[in-house]
This record gives sequence, structure tokens and C-alpha cells, in this order.
Amino acid sequence: MAAREIPDLKTLLASRRGGGLRGRGRGRGGLTASSPGGSETIKDSAVRGTDQDAAGSRVSCVELGYLNDAYASLFATQSSTRRLPLLNRGTYVRTSAIDQLVNSFLKVQPNAPKQIISLGAGTDTRYFRLRDAYPSTTILYHEIDFPTNTAAKLNSIRRHAQLYEKLLLSTHPLPPPQSSSYHSPTYNLHALDLRSLTTTTTSSSSSSSSSPPETTPSPQLPQLPNLDPNLPTLILSEMCLIYLQPSAVSTIIQKFTTHYLSPSTPASLILYEPILPNDAFGRTMISNLATRNIHLPTLTAYPELGDQRARLKQYGFVAGAKAADTEFIWREWVSAEEKERVAGLEMLDELEELDLLLRHYCVAWGYRDGATGGDDDDAHGNIFSQAWAHVKEQG
Amino acid sequence: MSIGGSDLDRAIAQLRACRPIPENQVRELCYKARELLIEEGNVVGVDAPVTICGDIHGQFHDLMELFRVGGDVPDTNYLFMGDFVDRGFYSLESFLLLLCLKVRYPDRITLIRGNHESRQITTVYGFYDECLRKYGSANVWRYCCEVFDYLALGALVTGAATSLTPTDGPIAESIQSMDIPDADCDIEIETLNANGEIMYRYARNSDSHSTAASQTNSNPASSSPLGPTPSNTGPAGTGATSSSNGSSKNETGAVLCVHGGLSPLIDSIDKIRLLDRKQEVPHEGAMCDLLWSDPDEIDGWGLSPRGAGFLFGADIVKHFNHRNDLSLIARAHQLVMEGFKEMFESTIVTVWSAPNYCYRCGNVAAILELGEDGSNAGFVPRSNGERGGGGGGTTASGGGAGGNGRGWVLGSNVGPNGAAIGENRRLSSVLGDGMGRPRDGPGRRYRVFEAAPQDSRGMPAKKPVAEYFL
Repeated sequence: MAAREIPDLKTLLASRRGGGLRGRGRGRGGLTASSPGGSETIKDSAVRGTDQDAAGSRVSCVELGYLNDAYASLFATQSSTRRLPLLNRGTYVRTSAIDQLVNSFLKVQPNAPKQIISLGAGTDTRYFRLRDAYPSTTILYHEIDFPTNTAAKLNSIRRHAQLYEKLLLSTHPLPPPQSSSYHSPTYNLHALDLRSLTTTTTSSSSSSSSSPPETTPSPQLPQLPNLDPNLPTLILSEMCLIYLQPSAVSTIIQKFTTHYLSPSTPASLILYEPILPNDAFGRTMISNLATRNIHLPTLTAYPELGDQRARLKQYGFVAGAKAADTEFIWREWVSAEEKERVAGLEMLDELEELDLLLRHYCVAWGYRDGATGGDDDDAHGNIFSQAWAHVKEQG
Repeated sequence: MSIGGSDLDRAIAQLRACRPIPENQVRELCYKARELLIEEGNVVGVDAPVTICGDIHGQFHDLMELFRVGGDVPDTNYLFMGDFVDRGFYSLESFLLLLCLKVRYPDRITLIRGNHESRQITTVYGFYDECLRKYGSANVWRYCCEVFDYLALGALVTGAATSLTPTDGPIAESIQSMDIPDADCDIEIETLNANGEIMYRYARNSDSHSTAASQTNSNPASSSPLGPTPSNTGPAGTGATSSSNGSSKNETGAVLCVHGGLSPLIDSIDKIRLLDRKQEVPHEGAMCDLLWSDPDEIDGWGLSPRGAGFLFGADIVKHFNHRNDLSLIARAHQLVMEGFKEMFESTIVTVWSAPNYCYRCGNVAAILELGEDGSNAGFVPRSNGERGGGGGGTTASGGGAGGNGRGWVLGSNVGPNGAAIGENRRLSSVLGDGMGRPRDGPGRRYRVFEAAPQDSRGMPAKKPVAEYFL
């Protein structure tokens, strides 16, 4: 247990009823100062705050040797970051699982340019790691997050040469401080509340787009500069869409797959989220997170792996809709040697608890092939089928 | 300043209020405890009746709940199987209270060592940080670690009754009373909730005049282990009964209590007695194994994924029990969602006493009561109703963050509305489902309880922040 979590005795004695400690270490509360009060504001702030939680977990993993990520510490603001062994193991499984899927995508047809859209990316370091790992692959990377998070990320990038050297600064310099968006042919930070994609009316006005009539984009839909409607595109949601209502998620995905991307573009979605809300562990999780003002609406809508697969199909990812919990992934995706290496990093006593924890998170991945009708190369069309043909899903 | 007599009682009162005692008192207490523990053998002899408890892990308020459910010290004779510290936020108060009680009532409480009672583990899992935070130095942690080195490695309970004297408690609401065997049957297992209501009762088929088949026909009780869901039962009477070996009402063997389990280097209890225990828990060897190993569905021995200790199968347990004239091994060490789990035809049981472990797991906890042989007088109704109705029952709102936990309704797979509750584990997964073992096991009364309500009894209780992946 990190030291910061052990209550200070004096504080406890002073405030018997203890409310004063709740939510300590979270925060970024000041960011909402300009907004009117209210529970929605508090919730938004709590969700935004989850990002530093993830950043701290990543740093803990890097420092102990679970993950190799030279950039993680450059984004984290929490001072004490060491996590319990089982949390480190969970972060390791989560990160390496998504890495495996992303790597397979980038390695197949290595000369084809590719696009990645990371939803609620926060302080994620994947872009910078991929630049190192795939220097000659054309990757058009987009991150979307709340303006406060993208602004903070820009500030971190501005402060560290290791980060801004990975950008095309000569042609696309960083924006002035206080800015929250950045655009370039390689890396884009879009300051956007994803919910704004759901509030636009579906009025009939349309002029330029080639979208089908029933999904006619409204003029109010925000611009996402540099987003290429035709590149094979991977959409990534690591603990992001889980915070939204199921109907909103459905609308948001649809906007990406039919408006921002041409409907014939090969596209895929990777979700990392909790599952099994109805057993004792799941109920406790929901109740614990609720005390932090964190609510997970889609968790109850898609409680099991089968629901996750069905949901991906509903979104239109009909060529493949697969899922596995992270316990399965640890067992089946991680090689024996790597397991041995990871197990050797820390003594892990809490095996039953780790097992519980890992079984309550899943990775789900779905994809659609591109249109093959008459276009130039249909090899392009099934890029995701090809990339993920051998990825083992849970039976 | 010396700690003894009224000072000790004052310290106990202070710790019961979850307030740490001053550093000099801790030093004195630890010194006294060491003097006491050094006299104990590696395997402490304990007479039934005794209440056996598993991991506590610094969940102080739940330890108080345990005392409420199981009876207070010194009224109840307790045996704690280690892992007092780490993970929870009140390791210090929990361990020091138990230690005070040990010094005050040495014959009424037995403490044995868990794998967390170690310098190395406590620096990773929280106790070290907690001491540093609460005292500003590592002195108290150091005193406690010196005590850890003197804790016994195991305990041997003798004189336990083969049958329970049935409680006269009411039958829990969710249970159909027709499925509870009569109180005049030979009761082998009884499960009570935190209010002392009977959730499950199992009669031993000890009538050696009847064949197994006629027994099951003549004794409806024998078909009841799975409660009112006949679809769950295999052939009737294949529950945790030992009748098939035809033994008459023989006395039960002893019960070995150890934190983790067995060791390939230990084939007899006498070999445990020969170990030099007064040291930090080693990374390997017999002492390490006793504190780290786990039973598993394997044959023989296996490597433990924990990186210390071993996995051991049913054959190992049965052979060890036979050789050492044991009827049961009681151990802790592994989280079990239902609070207890019998394995290998009830030759070994895991007892887990930290409800909603780490404020995250949503599990219930259990303690195991073994009655006294002969008089069968061990049982005293203990649920004193301090907390009124509702607590701990299947309809409890769930202490703390637990939500309403009813995953542990034994004896019934049917919810209050008649709907099947999928998560209710089949009893066989908790109690094992075998027959035929050399010794009749002791009568076993499990008291199952949930996490203490937050802010209960006016003690400072911080709502802990359980971590998740966000």
C-alpha cells in the first residue's frame, strides 16, 4: 500500500468522522473552478482525474521493470507512485495486451500508412513509444481528451525535449502556452469533450460529405483536423467510453465510423474496461468508485464478454468481434519466458485477489474490412482480419 | 514504565478504541510478549473448545466485528492463524490489541505466524509504512518484527468433539426450515450468520447399523447438504460424511492449524517441533513452506505461483493426516469468497477472516468453532444483538463498501423471491464433496460475517480508497 494511503493518525484523531480525507490525492479540482457547481461537474472532474491515476500506475510499472517506457515519468505529477504488486501486474497485462494488438496492426502491410485515434488518451505515451519502435512506418496519430487534459499534455511536451523532439516542430511548431490543441501530419491533440459529438442535431443539411443519407452529419459536428477518412484506422478506448452512457457511446462510435471515416475504410475498435458488475467484487467496485464520484454506465449495459462482442457487432465491426478478460490474456498471450521475467520482478502474495481483479477487466476488439468493390487494392481491405487473425480470444 | 495489570487493561481499552499506545508501551508490551512466546513450542498445544480465525490484515473494525460475532476475549478461546498485519489501514492497532490480549490472557488466545509477519513482506505490503507514519520512526515496526520471530509456527487442537451441540438459534430467513436436520441428529457441520441464525446444518451419518442406502432413505437430513435444490445434489448422502468407513463414534483426531500448509520437508508434526523458528521467515525451507504453501487440485507437490512454498494435493494431505493421527488441517492464507472452504473430503479447510478484503474484494469472512469433547458444552449463544436486526444477514445492506452481499447463502441456491441466485456457490464448492476418510472430523461450526459498517461504534473509520485500473 503506498504510503500516501495510510491515514495520518493525527488527522484521524482531529476529524473523527473522517470525511476530510476522502478523495485525497485525486483532485485537479481547481480545474473546474470556472464551471458552475453541481454533480455533473464533480463527476467530470473525477473522470478527468482518473488520468493521473493511470499515469501513476504506469510510472510504478516502469520503475519496477514491468514496462519499458521512457516517457511515462515525464507526464506523471503524483509524487508517490509505487503501486501494490497486483496493481502493477494488472497494469502490465493491460498495457502489453493493447500493445500486442497495436503492434500486429502496425506490422501487417508495413508500408501502408495507418491511423490511430486514441479516445480519452490523457497522459498515454503510446505515440512516443510507437515513433521509436516504428520509425519508418507512416502513423497518423490522434488523441482526443478534455481540453484540461490536452492542455496539460501540451505543457508536459513543451517542458521535455525527449517529447517534443518526436514532433515535426520545424514545420508544425507547438502552439502558445494555454493552447489545448496541436495538429501535424504525425501527431494531433484534439481538445474535445466526446459528448459534444452526441449533442449535435441530425438535421438534414449536408453538402460535402459522402456519408449515407441516414447518418447525415450535422453542420455542428466539430472539426478534427488532419483526420484522414480513408486510412485504415484503429480506435482505442482504454477506460474512456466506460464513463459515458451506452447510447452516447454508440453515437460517438458511429460518428467516427461513418462521418469522420468513410464507411468503406477499414476500421477497428479496441476497448479496455471492467466487466462482471454483478458479483460481489463487481458490486464492491461500483460502490467504491461511486464514493469517488466515478460512475461506469456501460459496465452494467455490457456485463460479460458476450455482451462486449455483441456490442462491437452492433457498432458495425462485423468482420471480427472478440473479447478476453485480462486473466485469460495473462495466461494465454504472455509467453512463458516473459511470465517468468515478470513474476520475478516482485514477490506477489495476493494471488487470489489478482485473479479476481484480472477477471474483472477485459480487452475487446472488433473490426470491419474495407470495401473491396472496384477500388485499387483489396489487400488493404482486410488489413485487420490479417493483423489479428492469430490473436486468441476467450472461448 | 512497565506494562502490566491495570496498565495493560488501559492499553487494551485504548487499542479497542483503535487508538495506538505510546511507543514506550509498545516496547514494553513486545518485550513481555517475547518472554511469553519464547516458552511456546513451534507447535502450540490447544484444548478445545476453540475458535479458529484466519487472516486479519489490519482490518481493525472487522476484527471487532469478529469478536462481536464469535464472543469476546477471554470468554471465547481464540486461535489466530497469522497475517495480522499488512494491506488494511490498522495493522498496528490490530496486532497490538491481539498481542495485549495474549499477554493479558495467555491461555485464552493463541497467535501463530503468517507469511506477512516478516520484515521483508511488511515493507512491501504496508505495515512498515503505517508504523513510520503513525510514530514517525521505524522503532515500533522493529519491536513488532522481533515479536514476529517468536510466534509459533502451528498449533495442535486436541479434545474437539465429533458432533456439535446444535445451536438453538433461529433459522435464517432465506433457509427453508424443513431442510435443516433436527437438533437431535449427530451434527457435523453448522453454518451461522453474524446474527447467530442457522444458515446450514449437516448431520453426520454415523449409524453403523444402516447401510448407506437405507440411511439416505430413512434420514432426510442426509440429503440436505445442498438445501432445497435437489438438482444440485449428486446421489443423496454423498456430502461431507465419513459414514462410509463404518467407523463407530470414535474420537476425532487432532486438528493441525498452520498459516499456509504442508512442506515436502515435513512428514510429521515432530519435525515441525525441531525447527529453529526464531528468525526472519526464510525464502525457502520447511519454515517458509508452512507459512506459504497452498492446497491445490493436483497430485503430489507442485511449484507455487507465489514464488515461495509449494502446492500440495489431496494425497499429500490424506497421507499426512493419517500418519499424524489428524482429522483435519485448518489453514488460512488464501482469500475465499465464502469465508471458508473445505477441500479434499474435508481433510483440510481454509478459513478467511478478513471480510471485504482490502475494501475491494466483496468477500465474506468466517471463523471456525470447534466444540469440546465429551460434555459438548462448548457452545454458548453469543450473538448479543448489539447491532439489532439486519446486520450480517442475507438482507444486510453490506458493511462498508460491500454492497449487499448475499453470495454466501449456504444451503440455498434460491433467493428470497424464489429466483436462482447464480452467484451463490454450490455448497459442494465450499464443503467439498467426498466421503470416506480415516478419522471422523471434528464437529465444525462456521460463523460467517460481513465487513463492519463504516463509522461503527464511534471509532475513527476512514473510508479507504481501494485502487482500480482507471
